[in-house]
Amino acid sequence: MRRKLPDVGFAFAPPQSGDHPLAITALRAWRLKEPVSGRRYTVVKLQSQGGDTGFGEGGPASGLEIADARAAVVGRRATESEFIRARLNGSPAMEAAVTNAMLDCVSRAKKLPIYQYLGGPTRFKARVLAQLEGTDEASTAAPLARAMKLGFQAFTMPVLQRDAMIPLQEYVDRVRKRVVAFQAKGGPAAEWVLDGAGALTPGDAAMIATALEKNHLIWFDEPTSVHTTDALAKIVDESVMPIGIGRKITDIATFQNLLRFGSVNVLRPSLGLNSLTKIKRMAAIAETHYVAVAPYHSGGPIGTLGGIHLAAALPNSFIQEVPIPASDRDAAMRAELTSGNKEVADNGFAALLNRPGLGFDVNEKALDVYSEERI
Amino acid sequence: MKRRSLLGGALAASALSGAKPGRNLLNDCGCALQVKTSTTKPPGGEAFKDTGSKLRITNMQVFGVTLDERIAQADRPYVFVKLETNQGIVGWGEATLEGKAAAAMACVMDLKDHIIGSDPMQVEHLYQLMYIGSFYRGGPVLGSAISGIDQALWDIRGKAMNMPVYEMLGGPVDPRGVRGYYHASAWNLAEARELRDQTKAAGVTALKFQLPDLLEWVETGAKLKRAVKHLEMLREGLGPDLDFACDFHARPSPTVAAIILREIEPLHLLFAEEICPPENLRAMARAVRYSATPIATGERLIASYGCAELIDMGIIDILQPDIAHVGGVTALWKISAAADAAGIRMAPHACEGPIGGIASLHVDAAGPNFLAQEICGFVDGGEKAKVWEDLMGFPAMRMVNGRYPLPTRPGLGVDISEAALKRYPFQGTRPFPTVFFEDGSVGSL
Repeated sequence: MRRKLPDVGFAFAPPQSGDHPLAITALRAWRLKEPVSGRRYTVVKLQSQGGDTGFGEGGPASGLEIADARAAVVGRRATESEFIRARLNGSPAMEAAVTNAMLDCVSRAKKLPIYQYLGGPTRFKARVLAQLEGTDEASTAAPLARAMKLGFQAFTMPVLQRDAMIPLQEYVDRVRKRVVAFQAKGGPAAEWVLDGAGALTPGDAAMIATALEKNHLIWFDEPTSVHTTDALAKIVDESVMPIGIGRKITDIATFQNLLRFGSVNVLRPSLGLNSLTKIKRMAAIAETHYVAVAPYHSGGPIGTLGGIHLAAALPNSFIQEVPIPASDRDAAMRAELTSGNKEVADNGFAALLNRPGLGFDVNEKALDVYSEERI
Repeated sequence: MKRRSLLGGALAASALSGAKPGRNLLNDCGCALQVKTSTTKPPGGEAFKDTGSKLRITNMQVFGVTLDERIAQADRPYVFVKLETNQGIVGWGEATLEGKAAAAMACVMDLKDHIIGSDPMQVEHLYQLMYIGSFYRGGPVLGSAISGIDQALWDIRGKAMNMPVYEMLGGPVDPRGVRGYYHASAWNLAEARELRDQTKAAGVTALKFQLPDLLEWVETGAKLKRAVKHLEMLREGLGPDLDFACDFHARPSPTVAAIILREIEPLHLLFAEEICPPENLRAMARAVRYSATPIATGERLIASYGCAELIDMGIIDILQPDIAHVGGVTALWKISAAADAAGIRMAPHACEGPIGGIASLHVDAAGPNFLAQEICGFVDGGEKAKVWEDLMGFPAMRMVNGRYPLPTRPGLGVDISEAALKRYPFQGTRPFPTVFFEDGSVGSL
């Protein structure tokens, strides 16, 4: 006998908003690629019935995902972020891009910076972390110099990958030597995050974390890609080095579980895969575990500046990561997209942009120029 | 706060300049600020001048509102908070605390140094300032005071942005409104059947009852049987298509709760609430493991920190923080977000006045994990409805098809008539009712 399936979708399918100034009437998207690094991201523009627009950035997305996001958001009000979070749950990059564009749109309509809309500034400047392109001291030299010139005081350094032929003692010595060399290069004002890029085994990561405790790095980021509780316990139970995790995690419950078991000391949701409002939910959970949030970012400048707004609004934000290109061409592209380079710092802190929405004009011509595809 | 900041600044200056010869280094108070880098950044001050708004709180008032005992419980005079701004926008919030009205009112005013002169758009910053800056974190008195102020700040934010608060929180998830439930009682089958008919006629879909007796930490067979029979009678009288919950009101011990929960499982309650006292979570967890009946608790918990362990331990199915105690809109939203990730539904407690009830509806409307809203006050017509209309200027809320329609006005959608408040002057704190067992020992109501 066939049973009638229950109507389970209604709670997440409220009727469309219809006639309202904040109802979204159109979505445009650009799939961007930086010319030298090949760094990819998606920028979305929303148009509201009242004439306001909003821009948002997410990670790389397929044409199909963009088309689906358009179907989801057109007809919705720019305030309906909970609907979009549920509707685009399977497409994290577009959830981020569309929701962030909604935030920009409604904040512009209300003539407020995004951080005001998100709950107001908890700080008047936001600490920033320069993500240096490169795999070793030589290849990170140019971006380090660029970042220092731009006013950054905190930087990532890549961890040395382990060759199986290298004895463990020698590997640990080499890692320690590299860390000391980076710290010397940055000078006494520089702070460092060790980027593990998820490439170590939990055992090796624990060894490195313990060996570097007295180097006082801010944290050891993504030491391993093995995110099981037992694997992470190897690291966090053997070392007092703070551990940052989360660049690939898109599920809030996964973060909650890491927090529950004390497996993470710095929450690192990616700006490309999680909207600002979704990260705000993650941050609320982290707050009760006394854990700071430092969003990972490997995308474009619109994403960076959205992250600064979030950092301003979160009580437990610590630092916002900013990709620093090695190539002048990539740097020029990023500056063009935001009508002049806004990824700058003053003594390690970014100023808050106190204008409506994101607080700057997105250069649509530059989006056209650098897009692989417009949808 | 200002005095402590000045002290901190003086200490910092002294420390940075080096110890003066002859200074007595043994006389520092351990409670005073001893950090070298402390800086004074008062709310609304220079630090945020380039990033904040131009709105400033210019005045804060607290009102105690005592209603006639025939229409409202004597232990809970309403405590309303009013914030005024330099741009004429006014915000209202509720800090009602059962049995502790005067303490809550005093605590609201204790926080005035944090609030007067501040920028109301910085609601999260001010929440942190009140919670962390109070040093002694949490507790129902501070929690209620913060709740009243926080609701008023959100009211101002919404009015400044010309948006209902639930829209600012990402909602509504369901524009049809927020499911509500009423408290009810029926002591025999005939009454239960009559209640069923009245409930359906009123368009209400869920009710909540209490157990018929006070309960000790181990109980007699007679009382256990009476508790179970009472709930079985209710299910029979109400029929299968009305949801009903039972509030144990933290009366039983985990030992007694486990026995009752085991036997009422076939009744498929909406939830069993506060099955035992809330302080010891591991004890509560012991009782819960014997039943699949959804377990609800949380009305006495303060701040998201107060709910964290409960959520992490996975003890419960439904959380019930009270927006007038937990820390206002800010705290209730954070708890809802954490509960959502853990698969826990929200059924916020609201057993006080009208502002808190309405504020709760806003957070409910923005939560994908919302289940049902309790509203104790003003559920019936007559005198209570008249008081509502006198205070609020619009008719008392009524459910339509089981839901409270969403407020549409900016902010919380509330403006209290101060002229009406004068008609219900505060007549002092009255204690929460006390109860005693047969032998004179203290029971839990």
